[in-house]
Amino acid sequence: MVPLMRNLLIALVLLPLLSGCVSSRIEQSRDSSTGIETHEAIVLLGRASYNDKQTEESFTECIAEVLGGGDNPIRLIGQNQFRDDLYPWFEPRTAPTSADELGRLFSQPGVKERIASVNVRYLAWIDGDTVTIDKGGSMSCTISTFGGGCFGMSYWEEDAAYEAAIWDLKTMTSTGQISADANGTSYLAGLIIPIPILARPGNAACKGLANQLREFIIGGT
Amino acid sequence: MEGTVPTPLVSIIPARMGVYYSDEFRRFKHEEVFRDSGGWSIDLGKQNLRFFQNLTKSLFAGIQEVHQPPLTTEEMRNLDGVFIPTIEKYGFLTPTISGLKFYSASIEYRVAMYDKKGTKIGDWNIVGYGKSEGGLFSSDDAINEATVLAIRDGGARIAIELIDQPAVQAWLQSIHESLEASAGPPGVAENIESIESIESSEIPENVDGPPDA
Repeated sequence: MVPLMRNLLIALVLLPLLSGCVSSRIEQSRDSSTGIETHEAIVLLGRASYNDKQTEESFTECIAEVLGGGDNPIRLIGQNQFRDDLYPWFEPRTAPTSADELGRLFSQPGVKERIASVNVRYLAWIDGDTVTIDKGGSMSCTISTFGGGCFGMSYWEEDAAYEAAIWDLKTMTSTGQISADANGTSYLAGLIIPIPILARPGNAACKGLANQLREFIIGGT
Repeated sequence: MEGTVPTPLVSIIPARMGVYYSDEFRRFKHEEVFRDSGGWSIDLGKQNLRFFQNLTKSLFAGIQEVHQPPLTTEEMRNLDGVFIPTIEKYGFLTPTISGLKFYSASIEYRVAMYDKKGTKIGDWNIVGYGKSEGGLFSSDDAINEATVLAIRDGGARIAIELIDQPAVQAWLQSIHESLEASAGPPGVAENIESIESIESSEIPENVDGPPDA
């Protein structure tokens, strides 16, 4: 029991230090200049479609957390509140799919006034997801009267690919796109106790996309 | 089941409607047993009713809940027609069944509209879909969220598309023409409330409407 406790203790100490490698790439294309006043806000909306893909709510929440904090916080309107306020125009099947449709949307009764009342300047559509692209290995765990443990190793590789399309609601145009692609392999090694070595490509994509989005919005030509 | 009840930002249909909700609609409950995940009982009647009460209030110039049609001439005196929503089908899928990462729900509504004389203007089937991530919630919460989204989706289609239906347009035109006819020759129409003035006026919760409309 003593060696088991010692191994457990070592694992608990080392666990926070163990993280898998993630490679990420951020790309940006700008269509027009941007800038935001302190009273203006941005809305992050996750794209949803009725196939097997959907931007995870946790991903847009992660971006919102990064954008709303730091040295240059940006005022954010929550996507659920925005969707309720503008119902039924930002539901999965009714939301505009391109900035060209904003003119038609703004001609609907009350839409322009409602957006103006909360000073929303930019809309960022977040599209993408994190998928497991490969997995393998094997691990087995046993328990007996003499003790127990796990032996073996398994791994899984995840790819997180997201894109933010930014629309300026003041000019009703698309101002640009930012894409983030992150890839990483996680491992679960069974050495008496299972030791996870986790890569978090979704988290890397979130932070990369959010920081680039902040720079993009705050100003540039 | 709980969820927000948003007020639609859409063009008001310039008509005063009686709205009939059957007991089945008011208390709609879906029960299903799966071999793997056991029994489910989803009580969506209350949320669905709240949603439609708010939807119809925003969609028409005036509404009044009525009993099951046919209504008498006296009961229809201040109404231009009757709107009857029903739930035809409801279903949901869990990730175990679908093999996807999401819980999903669909709800099929049938919406029937009748004119002042009780003649059917038309009826339309509308399907709403919703899906919710399974990982963040318990299965009950995920089904709840997917169902609320399905109700919203169906409501969105009703709010946006109903007014554009040719049969609804023809019926609105007939209301407009009958009001113009009852107004008599030009010059005596000032005291009669027209369709346009109903459209632009504040929406009454219950219709007390103009006499002899």
